[in-house]
Amino acid sequence: MSDPGPRRISRRALLRLLLLGGIGGGLAAAEWITRPAGLARYLTWAGRGAVTRLAARPAAVVLARCPSYHDDVLACLTEAWAQADMPDVRGKRVLVKPNLIDFIEGYPVTTAAPVVTAVVDLLAEAGASEIAVGDGPGFRRDALPVAQACGLAAALAERKVPFVDLNYDDPRPVTAADGWFFRTRTLWLPRHVREADLIVSVPKLKTHHWAGVSLSLKNLFGIVPGARYGWPKNLLHINGITPSILGLYQTVRPVVAVVDGIVGMEGDGPLFGAGVPHGLLAVGADPVAVDVACAGLVGFGLAEVHHLAVAAWAGVGRAAAIELRGAPADALRRRYERPPAA
Amino acid sequence: MSEIAAAQAFLLRTQNSDGGWGYVVGHASNVEATAVAALALTCLAGEPAAARRGVAWLQAAQRADGGWGLTADDAESGWQTAWALLALVRCRGDEAVVQRGVAQLLAAQPMHFDRSEDVRWVKAVLGINPNLRGWPWLPGQVAWVEPTALTLLALAPWAAAPEVSPRLAEGVGYLQDRRCNGGGWNVGNPVMFSRPLPPRAVPTAWVLLALAAVAPQAIQDDDVRVLRSEMLADGGASALAWGLLALAALDQEERVAADRLRAGQAADGGWDTSPYHTAAALLALAGGWP
Repeated sequence: MSDPGPRRISRRALLRLLLLGGIGGGLAAAEWITRPAGLARYLTWAGRGAVTRLAARPAAVVLARCPSYHDDVLACLTEAWAQADMPDVRGKRVLVKPNLIDFIEGYPVTTAAPVVTAVVDLLAEAGASEIAVGDGPGFRRDALPVAQACGLAAALAERKVPFVDLNYDDPRPVTAADGWFFRTRTLWLPRHVREADLIVSVPKLKTHHWAGVSLSLKNLFGIVPGARYGWPKNLLHINGITPSILGLYQTVRPVVAVVDGIVGMEGDGPLFGAGVPHGLLAVGADPVAVDVACAGLVGFGLAEVHHLAVAAWAGVGRAAAIELRGAPADALRRRYERPPAA
Repeated sequence: MSEIAAAQAFLLRTQNSDGGWGYVVGHASNVEATAVAALALTCLAGEPAAARRGVAWLQAAQRADGGWGLTADDAESGWQTAWALLALVRCRGDEAVVQRGVAQLLAAQPMHFDRSEDVRWVKAVLGINPNLRGWPWLPGQVAWVEPTALTLLALAPWAAAPEVSPRLAEGVGYLQDRRCNGGGWNVGNPVMFSRPLPPRAVPTAWVLLALAAVAPQAIQDDDVRVLRSEMLADGGASALAWGLLALAALDQEERVAADRLRAGQAADGGWDTSPYHTAAALLALAGGWP
């Protein structure tokens, strides 16, 4: 046999190799750039976001003027709820989730009891089959003493509505939805969260030194059980505040929002900010839209609240299409002092 | 029936069929509640059979790495390992099980900050040294006050062992670094953006229990003063019970807190329909930390 000599590669084959190498290198670079989510997940979010921005019908956010907790909060809430395209709660198990992170005398840290009880009364009137109120404080106190200190426990006892410490509520693992938890596919969640047909997030409207603002989405941190993850729920910080907020929301939907901005908190939130007599209740079936609207009212654009900006980009909720209803927004605008930044 | 007997009866009634206890009546058995209930029943010496079933549940719940998670089927060992050891040592659990647990705790490492700019940032914003080694709630996370305190307490019987002693000393240093301005502890953030954050009763109580066991010289008068005020300010069964247990470890008492704890006992003999709270209250009212 004759020696074939050194093998030569044709120009076409070389171009093919270069093309394949370029595609492979590009994909690897894209995977690296989009970590920890990865390219496939990133494209899913981006595509969904584009579709949502183009095609989603507007989400209703109703603003109600409610000057103080001594006014008829239930009447304000009922009127707002009726305009907000809220889901039918008849026959449903509903968990009401206020913000009870801690009670600190002199600071409006928690959702006010009159707002929580107004939500409970409205749900009862609307035919919810089971109503429970619960939170899992992040700053290492049991929830019940916090609820007692802010007057909520007694008000719920009058109504025979159970109060649940979500930090200790029989946590079990569920599948984490939508890929926002990068190191785990499961999340341990409390029984009342797992079994709820609907969660009503009832946050205090306030600034937050890590998240910019704390509203109905950030309020969901309180459903993460300290008994499994410890305090202050370090999993959420290690995973990242933005992906954790969005991952929790996607996992526990449906969630609707009632924001207590009757007295808000500005400045050094979420614990030591100053009270702002604001006179606002905000209600909506899309908590992303509600939070975007409320953040805007207190002077925070999307660019300042990372989790809301990412929600808008990824098509989590309807951040870009909001129909404000109820009281005129301009009458309810207050520019809140910013929280301290690193 | 005395308050003690009623609380014991509550614990016996609420033991799950698998031998463990949940945080709340009717909930699945978990390591922390089972450990505290077994401790309470063993220390009172009234119901060793129920305590033995609790110990058996704990031993069966040990994971392959020697640690314990929240429940028997938890796929990750966490801070509950310290609780399991605290119970097994005092309830005469299997020595091999205990030794695997000790090894797991000693092997557990908190997250380390490698970049000097990260360390500077944490020191500037939170006022702490992030690279002092305590113990995390879960593997790979940063250290926090309560798992560090519980682990010190769990490892105290081996304090003189050469492989244990240096880690205990580091843990004590960690806790001293996390002390709040004016005394006491919270989760582990004494400062945030130059603002002092307040101490809380339960973390302070667990730290004092731990320091009383391994480094009593590190306790300051302010820590005890803070515990007294915080446990009363909180007023919950957990804060009162753990506060009283810490004070008892320091040969002190707080009668107002004890009275308030007694007043919270329900007609069924328990506190907050919680075997966990009831067991802690039982320990607090019946003689202190074992």
